[in-house]
Amino acid sequence: MGTPGVLALLLLFYGGTMWMSVAISKRKESADGYMTAGNRIGFGISAASMTATWIWASSMYASATAGYTYGVAGPIHYGLWGALMILFIYPFGKRIRAVAPKAHTLAEVMYARHGRSSQLMLAGSNVLGSVISLTSNFIAGGAIIAMLSPLSFGAGIAIVAGGVLLYTLWSGFRASVLTDFVQVVAMLGAAAIVIPVIFFAAGGSEMFEAGRAMGNVTPQQESFFSSDAFMNQGAPYIAAVLAYAIGNQTIAQRLFAVREDLIKPTFVTATVGYGATVIGAGMVGVMALYLGVQPLDGDVNNLLPQMAAEYLPLLLLGLAFLMIIGSLSSTADSDLAALSSIVMADVYGQSVGREKANPRTMLLIGRATMVVATGVALYFATARFNILDLLVFVGALWGCLVFPVIASFYWKKVTNLAFTVSVLAALAMFLPVRFEFIALTGVWAVLVEALAIVGVGVVLGIMAFGFFGRKAAVWVGVVATVATLPFGFDFLRDYAVLSGSLVAYAVSFLVCWALSVRSKADFDFETIKRVTGDFDDGGLDPRTQANENTDEPAPTTTKNEGN
Amino acid sequence: MSATILTAYVLIWPVLVAGVLVAIVRGFAKDVKEARKEGRPLI
Repeated sequence: MGTPGVLALLLLFYGGTMWMSVAISKRKESADGYMTAGNRIGFGISAASMTATWIWASSMYASATAGYTYGVAGPIHYGLWGALMILFIYPFGKRIRAVAPKAHTLAEVMYARHGRSSQLMLAGSNVLGSVISLTSNFIAGGAIIAMLSPLSFGAGIAIVAGGVLLYTLWSGFRASVLTDFVQVVAMLGAAAIVIPVIFFAAGGSEMFEAGRAMGNVTPQQESFFSSDAFMNQGAPYIAAVLAYAIGNQTIAQRLFAVREDLIKPTFVTATVGYGATVIGAGMVGVMALYLGVQPLDGDVNNLLPQMAAEYLPLLLLGLAFLMIIGSLSSTADSDLAALSSIVMADVYGQSVGREKANPRTMLLIGRATMVVATGVALYFATARFNILDLLVFVGALWGCLVFPVIASFYWKKVTNLAFTVSVLAALAMFLPVRFEFIALTGVWAVLVEALAIVGVGVVLGIMAFGFFGRKAAVWVGVVATVATLPFGFDFLRDYAVLSGSLVAYAVSFLVCWALSVRSKADFDFETIKRVTGDFDDGGLDPRTQANENTDEPAPTTTKNEGN
Repeated sequence: MSATILTAYVLIWPVLVAGVLVAIVRGFAKDVKEARKEGRPLI
């Protein structure tokens, strides 16, 4: 497209988002608005924001890669499980919102539930994940700009980082969600047009017959039930479904921002929007496979821009470019907003106490965090770490937190000790399995496989619990564990990434359960409402105060609430 | 697998994307309308 064309599109994109951000800016921004936009966002903006945030540049590249590598089943085993990460968290989201209607971060709620160590564990993992995600999006931006113009990679990441920081800095989360709407319109609009145009330009249905005749596809790549695609792509993602949703502050932030009665439609719409867009991008990889396209420089990440450049006219190539810039910018601004909220609420707000926290100081801290985070991500981006490997690692790490976090919202007996010890024990088992510090052979392999088999039951049990309650969860967990027994041994040892994640789930569940089941703790969930809440009104939450000053009963428990 | 099934498989996703886009745009328009009616900022 050339430097002028790329610069014009970038100016149009970042100029437009900057204009929107200025339009909604307030002379006196509030700390709560900066973090959660007042907890009453409508369906249109929140569904757009959830969709835009969850679709990032890497998800489009990775889905196309999955289609190219594993054939027709590949994009499903990438996009479907990613979509379910949003869907499976919404029942838990409703419960989290019910016990902490005015919280800003999940870690803040853990502080109210357990105390400082649990809060910092969750906040630390959130920060790590957001910085890695931010870095990855800068890298994707630099790479696409360098590919489509004579501008260097360094200039590309500087433009993207500067553009995102400028429009997010002043209004924080409010700017992030509003610009997400425009970005999602650009992304989804481009996906709806670009995919069929590439399909027909590449020869339509005939490409499949021709590709088969030329031997470009294997029987596995032509099968919707490819075991290769499932074991190498799908299964590790299924294990990560809940982990990403719990560990990612960008989701929690939108959960606390959307109007409470709109949580379900928002999350369901985002599930379908994410799934269709990302699996659709994967179809470009499937087409490349049938066409026998060789990735530029042997790098499969080049497939998507390569196919776009080959088959799209200039105008639509510009649209595809905006689709990728929109996807990475919407996730990057969400990461900045997430990081600032964690530092504002968890590092500063709750450490000095909600009543003593100064909202102006909080805002200053939030903005400074965004600047520092951008600088750190730029440094990592230029160091060219293998970001996707890091992200997969962090995703599995989050698996250690899933059961203790979810159990803490339902089970009154879970203590800070149970939470902390179970997460650390899971981490201690996860690391040697994931990185194969000890060879997966002999007694060690049998132990790991036994735990991984339990992990299968834990993952599916937690998923069932969200929708159907405790009894169904126990049945699903037991049946899944028993069903995995016959083939799990002498098999899972060959899949260290998958086994590592499953072991993390199993150990955190077993330790947390063992330390809690005989506990005499009887936590009052109403405490969370009193500890979390608005910062701008000096920590006075009128709703909580009303409850405290009257004999109004505590909210009734949900069907899932344990005792 | 027939070319017809593969064609439908490739083209169904942009159709779904378009459907979600319509739902989000309509939702956004409703948010704007409600905010104006109540005299408060959209966000």
